[in-house]
Amino acid sequence: MKDKILFLPLGILFGFLLSRAGATTYDFYAQLFLFQDLQLLWVISVAIVVGLLGIGLLKLTNFKALVGGKSIDFKGKPYRPSLIPGAVLFGLGWGLAGACPGTVLAMLGEGKLGAIFTIFGIILGTYLYGWQVGLRMDTKPQPSADQIIVKPDIIS
Amino acid sequence: MTEVIVWDGWIGGIAIGLYAIFQVWLTGKLLGVSTGYGNLCSFTSRLPFFHRDSYSQPNNWRLWFLIGIPLGGLMASFTSPESLNLSFSLGDMYNTVIPKPIWLRGLLLTLGGVLIGYGSRLAGGCTSGHTITGVSLLNWPSLVASAGFFIGGTVIVQVMFNLLV
Repeated sequence: MKDKILFLPLGILFGFLLSRAGATTYDFYAQLFLFQDLQLLWVISVAIVVGLLGIGLLKLTNFKALVGGKSIDFKGKPYRPSLIPGAVLFGLGWGLAGACPGTVLAMLGEGKLGAIFTIFGIILGTYLYGWQVGLRMDTKPQPSADQIIVKPDIIS
Repeated sequence: MTEVIVWDGWIGGIAIGLYAIFQVWLTGKLLGVSTGYGNLCSFTSRLPFFHRDSYSQPNNWRLWFLIGIPLGGLMASFTSPESLNLSFSLGDMYNTVIPKPIWLRGLLLTLGGVLIGYGSRLAGGCTSGHTITGVSLLNWPSLVASAGFFIGGTVIVQVMFNLLV
């Protein structure tokens, strides 16, 4: 899987576009949920419409990925009972921190240092989920000293 | 705080929509970010969850994507008229509701992050994987998740800005 390196420039492009779209500007999150300025709603809904058309076209033409040549798997994420409570919890964090998992990384790159805390929190929350899944699914005792050392500022 | 150039919403939407198509067209991988945070856990945790399924090979495309995004933010600020400015400011609006002392601000942002990280794993995705990608695929659970995201966001922001201030 050498094509993973390709995702470094792709990530750079995505981060750049998130910033230009206003998704790294804290105020737009507050204004969105107070229905004062729908900048981010425009971004999201137009992106969905463009994505819908583009993905429809790729599906119709049965397009193979340019790199690797595999057929593209368009299977969506499945429903599960935890989806609704999880989504609402996510929304609470989204509004509280004024960021989401992608945009907070771009904010860090822009020098918005509050992102360090938010990124640390996201890693912690992800870890919490993994720990909880382990409690539920494994009958075997967990390995001890299972401590996590988190480095939130992965690049700076 | 760094002031960056912001395009009109619909232009930003076209750009991000085109990006999502470009990524899947080029690599066959659908856009999604939050799963990648588990890759970071894979390197520091021995919990089985972080070593199977999506995480059996943590040095994968998601990791490189996550490393790229901050560099994109850096480029965006370098190409904006104002220079890069390191700051804990949260912008005019959040500055009025989130206390200034760094420990308290850090605590609230960390709490927000925990909700984002834990909630997105429970839901199976975030604003990119569920809302942009999932809804584009007309995947109904993603539509439900997106509704949940907006409900949660609206509740907390309405409470913060209308009840606390």
